[in-house]
Amino acid sequence: MTTTTTVVTAAAMTMTEAKGKPKRPSAAPVFLGSLALFCVLFGLVAYRAGSGFSAEATAVSQPAPQRKLVIRRVVTTVVPGSGPEPAAASSAPVEAAAAPVESAPVEPAPVVTSSS
Amino acid sequence: MTAEHDISFAAMGSHVRLLIGEPGPGLPPAATAAAEAQSFVADFEATLSRFDRESELSALNRDRRERVPASPLLRRAVAAGLVAAEQSRGLVDPTLVGEIERAGYVASRAWMAPASLAAALAQAPARRPAGPHHEGRWRRWRVDEEAGEIVRPPGQRFDSGGSGKGLAADLLAMKLAGYRSFVVDCGGDIRVGGVEAEVRPRVVHVEHPLSGERLHAIRVSSGGVATSGLDRRIWRDACGRYAHHLLDPATGEPAWTGLIAATALAATALEAETLAKAALLGGPARGAELLCVNGGILVHDSGRVQLVGSLAGRPRVRLPQPDTTLEAAA
Repeated sequence: MTTTTTVVTAAAMTMTEAKGKPKRPSAAPVFLGSLALFCVLFGLVAYRAGSGFSAEATAVSQPAPQRKLVIRRVVTTVVPGSGPEPAAASSAPVEAAAAPVESAPVEPAPVVTSSS
Repeated sequence: MTAEHDISFAAMGSHVRLLIGEPGPGLPPAATAAAEAQSFVADFEATLSRFDRESELSALNRDRRERVPASPLLRRAVAAGLVAAEQSRGLVDPTLVGEIERAGYVASRAWMAPASLAAALAQAPARRPAGPHHEGRWRRWRVDEEAGEIVRPPGQRFDSGGSGKGLAADLLAMKLAGYRSFVVDCGGDIRVGGVEAEVRPRVVHVEHPLSGERLHAIRVSSGGVATSGLDRRIWRDACGRYAHHLLDPATGEPAWTGLIAATALAATALEAETLAKAALLGGPARGAELLCVNGGILVHDSGRVQLVGSLAGRPRVRLPQPDTTLEAAA
């Protein structure tokens, strides 16, 4: 990091001195900065690899978090603006029937709740 | 919704309707399941009817012993009644047999024309919320599953009327759990289930107790819906006074609370039936409190309809809880 600071300062000085003299900045500071950053990162990776760290090993050594099954049941939703439906008004199961009465399964009568 | 087997029949002093969809793997066809369900309902009624002297419930009510051996179904029915009493804090009291008989409900009124609710409301006493019985007799009842007995003070009687239909709907729902869709409607106490209803919720219409019109429609993907009201079992007693079957446990008299019907939603039909009865007996304020959790509908004496909870357009947002491992799709 010290190297980087020095390089940046040097580059700034160079640019100050260059005022009034149109001159292309040198590529050296950029090159040196990049090299220094690469060295730092490379060193860090090399150190961690040498100390035995690996993502795979960590995943194995730690117990996997237990997945919990969360079942959300939405019991009801509102039918907006619902009201009497004249077409189906007489189809509630209200007729007395001693024997079972089966109806067409395709379009069943609506389910109605009333006083029990 | 795919084709369903649709069957209706009279039972438990009311109408039972079953809608059963396609069977899951290894299950019999819907028609077979419907026939078995109808047979189950017949057994249920024969065991638990208060109006049948030959029923096991009537035998229990006559028995002078403190501990009475009972079948699994009777034990379950008594346990369900006690749960309803507990959950309603004594408003839905299954031990008011003497009181309901004194009110004039001695025999089944299943197919008798009800008296006019509007006329009854005009003559009814001042409205007030019902309350629990001062003794709380139901607290002295117990089901001993190990011994297979019902334990209670001799002389006390039990009425399954407050919870029987909801229990029947739930027991049938357990039998039909493997079918793609089903509806069990035991006289207005309804249980909806099946994977298909989870995808496309079932529409349940709610009937107005005064006009008979449909006042609202509810989409139900799973669970119970029940309505409790004064309009079906209402009569005039020997003195010409109007009476009905929903008693105020505190007074033993028919309750006039300012509400004439309540519809409740819950996870099971028994719970919905209990909530609906408790809401009606609790009156407008308490009723709204009870129903706001799952949603419901109150119908006031004036006929005014009050939507409560999620039905009132303020859906309750339920976020997934970190440790809510629900009953593993039991």
